[in-house]
Amino acid sequence: MKKAIVEFKDFSFKYKTQTETTLKNINLTLYQGEKVLILGSSGSGKSTLANCINGLIPFSYDGEITGSLKVAGIETKDASIFELSSHVGTVQQDTDAQFVGLSVGEDIAFSLENRSVARDIMLEKVDYAAKLVGMEDFLVQPPFHLSGGQKQKVALAGILHDEEEILLFDEPLAALDPAMGMAAVDLIDQIYREKEKTVLIIEHRLEDVLYRHVDRIILIDEGQIQMDSTPDELLRSGLLKEHGIREPLYISALKNAGIHFSDTEHLDNIEELDIARYKQSVLDDIKAVKPYQVPPKNELLLHVSHVDFSYGERKVLDDVSFDIHRGEKIAIVGKNGAGKSTMAKMLCGIIRPQAGEISMEGVNCRKLSIKEIGTKIGYVMQNPNQMIVKDIIADEVRLALTLNGFTQEEMDRRVADTLKMCNLYSMRNWPVSVLSYGQRKRVTIASILALQPEIIILDEPTAGQDYHRYTEIMSFLEELNRTYNITILFITHDMHLAIEYTDRAIVFADGKCIADDYVFKVLSNSWIIEQANLKQTSLVTLAKQTGIDPEAFIRHFIESEREERAHGHE
Amino acid sequence: MKEKSKLSLLLGVWNTKTIVGVAIGAALFGVLMVFGGIKVFTNTSLTTAMVVVVVVAGMFGPLPAAVAAGIGNVIADLIGGWGFWFDWSIGNFVLGFFVGLLPIYGAKIDEGIFTVKHAIIYVLTVIVGNAIAFGLVTPLLTYLFYSSELTVTWMQALSAIISNGAVLLIVGIPFLFLLANRNAKKTNLTKED
Amino acid sequence: MDMSKRLFINVIPGKTFLDKLSGTTKVRLFFALIILLIATWDFRILFPVLLLGVAGLVSIKPNWKLIGGLLTFILVVNLFNLFLIWVVTPDYGKDIVGGSTVLLSFNSRYVVTAETMWYFLIRLTKFLASFIVSLTFIQAITPSEMAAGLYSIKVPYKVATIVSIAFRYIPDISRDFSDIKISMQARGMELDSKRTGLFTRLKQYILILIPLIIISFERVGNIANAMDLRGYGKGKTRTYYSEHEETPNDRRMKVFYLLIYLSILAVIFCRIVFPPEFQVWAPWI
Repeated sequence: MKKAIVEFKDFSFKYKTQTETTLKNINLTLYQGEKVLILGSSGSGKSTLANCINGLIPFSYDGEITGSLKVAGIETKDASIFELSSHVGTVQQDTDAQFVGLSVGEDIAFSLENRSVARDIMLEKVDYAAKLVGMEDFLVQPPFHLSGGQKQKVALAGILHDEEEILLFDEPLAALDPAMGMAAVDLIDQIYREKEKTVLIIEHRLEDVLYRHVDRIILIDEGQIQMDSTPDELLRSGLLKEHGIREPLYISALKNAGIHFSDTEHLDNIEELDIARYKQSVLDDIKAVKPYQVPPKNELLLHVSHVDFSYGERKVLDDVSFDIHRGEKIAIVGKNGAGKSTMAKMLCGIIRPQAGEISMEGVNCRKLSIKEIGTKIGYVMQNPNQMIVKDIIADEVRLALTLNGFTQEEMDRRVADTLKMCNLYSMRNWPVSVLSYGQRKRVTIASILALQPEIIILDEPTAGQDYHRYTEIMSFLEELNRTYNITILFITHDMHLAIEYTDRAIVFADGKCIADDYVFKVLSNSWIIEQANLKQTSLVTLAKQTGIDPEAFIRHFIESEREERAHGHE
Repeated sequence: MKEKSKLSLLLGVWNTKTIVGVAIGAALFGVLMVFGGIKVFTNTSLTTAMVVVVVVAGMFGPLPAAVAAGIGNVIADLIGGWGFWFDWSIGNFVLGFFVGLLPIYGAKIDEGIFTVKHAIIYVLTVIVGNAIAFGLVTPLLTYLFYSSELTVTWMQALSAIISNGAVLLIVGIPFLFLLANRNAKKTNLTKED
Repeated sequence: MDMSKRLFINVIPGKTFLDKLSGTTKVRLFFALIILLIATWDFRILFPVLLLGVAGLVSIKPNWKLIGGLLTFILVVNLFNLFLIWVVTPDYGKDIVGGSTVLLSFNSRYVVTAETMWYFLIRLTKFLASFIVSLTFIQAITPSEMAAGLYSIKVPYKVATIVSIAFRYIPDISRDFSDIKISMQARGMELDSKRTGLFTRLKQYILILIPLIIISFERVGNIANAMDLRGYGKGKTRTYYSEHEETPNDRRMKVFYLLIYLSILAVIFCRIVFPPEFQVWAPWI
């Protein structure tokens, strides 16, 4: 008989600040030693559920609880967060915010310090936990130079001091690039097996979590449990898209090929899937669809020629060259520190090439001021709150025009045009504070478009966003590109974005541009994937197992997905 | 009852959130003081650091604001490397407290409440706070610690009063209105179609 | 770009004698010296403390390029202050040292007396010593050791936490600050002080401050949650990972700073029981 460790009974929760109940009548039992994925889109209630388990609700968030929730036998509404924290260890989504120590060792020690553990015992425990996650060589390092993946390992080590029997991961993949995400899923699995803990993962990125086995998936939407089943049953159910969850790519690809899965098949792991019998259908499908049309190139817009840049001794850009043509959609990919953001800063004129040159429509950018370049190349930062200054939408869009000294009429005209382009005209007098994340993103894009730039650069436009918001942001950008022929550069780790929305990928590694090619070529080249901290998509695995050329297969997949999306627009 | 609630408003609730808020406020204060000066002449610059204190006050109350200003000044000393001058840190603490009185007279920046009436009271607190902090407390401490000549100490204090006052009024007031507007109308969280 | 490199305080502990002392020792020693410097006007005490400070600073092998400019700046400011004092009260030494030996006279008011110069020398020594002792302290301590050290002198650990959390997020805030500045520049903000007036620059500053402050305080909730979830604030006491056990050197320094505290008491005691006629001692009076 398995021992129940988390028991929700007719449990509901309503935040004090909201009028609607966030969790509605939850009945759920999780057993000791289980590995469970709690799956849901943003706003589904999955994070609220997590916060109920670790005690942040009701400790930090006021609200109304009805029903009962017992964690490790403790009724949470009567317990203190401290009591619960010795049973539940939480790794949060924001890797920066949860790193509160000034060094790796200190952060791992944080819970021990709070419990006044003597220092000699503390040192032992920290060493032990650091070794479990492979961070033992970094103990004196400050957080500033660590990658997101390393910070997350530190957070995990911080809850491995033996007391906690439940490990709770709240969106562990949100801040990581694909390769780090894969490593994180692997590490969680390894700890789960070695330490025999109960593991709960809260995520919306299903395919990435399924990289390692999970026992059970709880699908949540609208504050209710929609399904509680094995991964196989869920994948077969077809409930995913309906609840804003992206299907694993290999499943989509097989479905595209018209394949129906039998009830007995294991779908959760591509390696176990009996692919051979689908080979013919896939091949037929590829033949049936017209081959991928490479979009014709327009005139040359930007020419980057052999640029170098160093910060002191450290070379961050090394002999980089590429061309950008009008109307292109390009993904700029590479690990953190590979030179992507330095390149973006250089394109905007914030820093200048130490060797080589950049020219825009034939004019050498060296002759232009930051301000002049700013009217040709716009830069949209990752977090819209980093950019928004004004309280009213129209004022925010007007700001750059005021700073550039346009005439009143010109400003009025441009503000109106831009707002219409971005479907914000009807909301122009709204305060920014009432807007959703996606709408704020649109406001920041509008505030840049007001200057009528030729090119806009977007830094991680979809980072941390679920499928629904991702689609909202990306289809808006695609429409801008299609209707107004605006050239868009995406600085991104998001492989789905690259596959679905861009034509070309420029790949950086160690300051060098190591590839500049069609997305399907880049993603089927395992050397580039490794260099750029990307991850081999399941499409490549699928192609290899069916004996189809991966490049042709990805190309085919892209084409059929775009066709489907284009039909969706009509 | 009301007396008590005023007192708790003055002192603030020192939970983890307040501690972190004060720490972030102090860090911002230090960064702005060291790296964010607005050049007036070659060697003089105005600092906008005090504006941060107003935000801490809006979220957590006057005492947290004062602590953020005092520790923020110590942090500026630490990262700027110009040695500790406790007389000035304590002066900033006092000014921080006065400037931080916002929630006491009903201005709630994080809820979007800041009116002309509040702005007028704010101007008064800036003037009074500045006069007490740098006209009285800091010169007195400087005199006690370093037995300095009072006239010269006051001359230095006067320049602090003028620059702090200028920033708190010229930058502070438009900033407060804008920030309050950015935070306004947040209460309606019902889902809309 | 990376402002964390421009900070005077170091995050990773160094390897010299002073660096290797515990946070407790460093903090207690620092306060001992600073209080002593504030408490006395006696050149016979001030000068050795200055020498001690200089020796301390040299021993930690600081980056002289960084410090040189700062030292010059402090020296110039102090000399200028002294000049101002002389302009306002040329015969300042008369009341404070107790004499008026004229060395040089410009007219009946503007005279240079030996006593005033003696006072100026002492004051300069006092200020320079305070400065160099704090600078040495700043260069030899890490923020975590400082938190631990403050806790050791009975400062509530929540106050010590404010200091360490502030230092934790300074690099992040500096990075956001420069990113926001860059994005505003790209949108057309002119930051060159030669091209814009002071008033415009003040107004433009608001445009950078608003997003900076909003995103800085956005993280407060998440950080506080992360701390609560690991039991912060549960106990009345706390231990520190960064605070190593007392070494033989720490014990030696303990004797040293205890002696300083005793001498502070002695200095204050003497001043109360045998109040000197004049505040500043001079060998010839």
